[in-house]
Amino acid sequence: MTAWLLSHQAAEVNMEYITSKDLDLVALLQQSHHPSAGAVVLFSGDVRNNNVGKMVDYLEYEAHTSMASKMIESILSDARKRWSLNIAIAQHRTGKVRITESAVVVITASAHRAEAYAANRYIIDRIKHEAPIWKCEFFTDGTKEWGGNCNCHKDTGNINKHIYEFEEIL
Amino acid sequence: MKIEVFAILKEYFDKEFEIKDPLKTVEELRAHLALLNPASSNVLKICRFAVHDEFVADHYQLTGNDSVVVIPPSSGG
Repeated sequence: MTAWLLSHQAAEVNMEYITSKDLDLVALLQQSHHPSAGAVVLFSGDVRNNNVGKMVDYLEYEAHTSMASKMIESILSDARKRWSLNIAIAQHRTGKVRITESAVVVITASAHRAEAYAANRYIIDRIKHEAPIWKCEFFTDGTKEWGGNCNCHKDTGNINKHIYEFEEIL
Repeated sequence: MKIEVFAILKEYFDKEFEIKDPLKTVEELRAHLALLNPASSNVLKICRFAVHDEFVADHYQLTGNDSVVVIPPSSGG
């Protein structure tokens, strides 16, 4: 039991939040089972083959690694304060990510599913709006575009104020 | 001061470059960059700036030794 707890703490503390390697969803999920948790939620942001009516060939992600890592750590910490979570982890890819591959993963575990779902949605929303991570879409017609920018400032009038999906359902 | 840009801003500026002009604040730097490349001004308006890995406000006082990072709106996930 003690060894198990130690290995788990290490897994969360040593988490690499930004990585250029493939996200190993199966391994991450395997690490996310916890004796006090009756619910584990895994969200994977997958690369799909179309956007705004154009066929996507692949995506390339760029990040300000140190800032994005600190920010993800702080978002996870906020989530742990807000909900009682046994596990809260997140990883985001950089570099080339192909169709059906995972660009970002968030795993939350808690005693009951409501908290794991809510916390998971909170974490992915904040990562998408706030973390300095960008995608460039490469389309099958040979064009490319830095896309999917957070446009909240158009509604909030403030580049630091965002409109989150999780706020609509809380 | 040293400037580093990311994502779409790389279409308007070198990834890293140096500015010698004596700019006092982030607000002045934003305006200066827009003058260097007017096509970038709409993007610059919605960018955040960071020094030492921390976001800084428009009134932040810059020094010549600062390394400034220009952060366009996020598009992760």
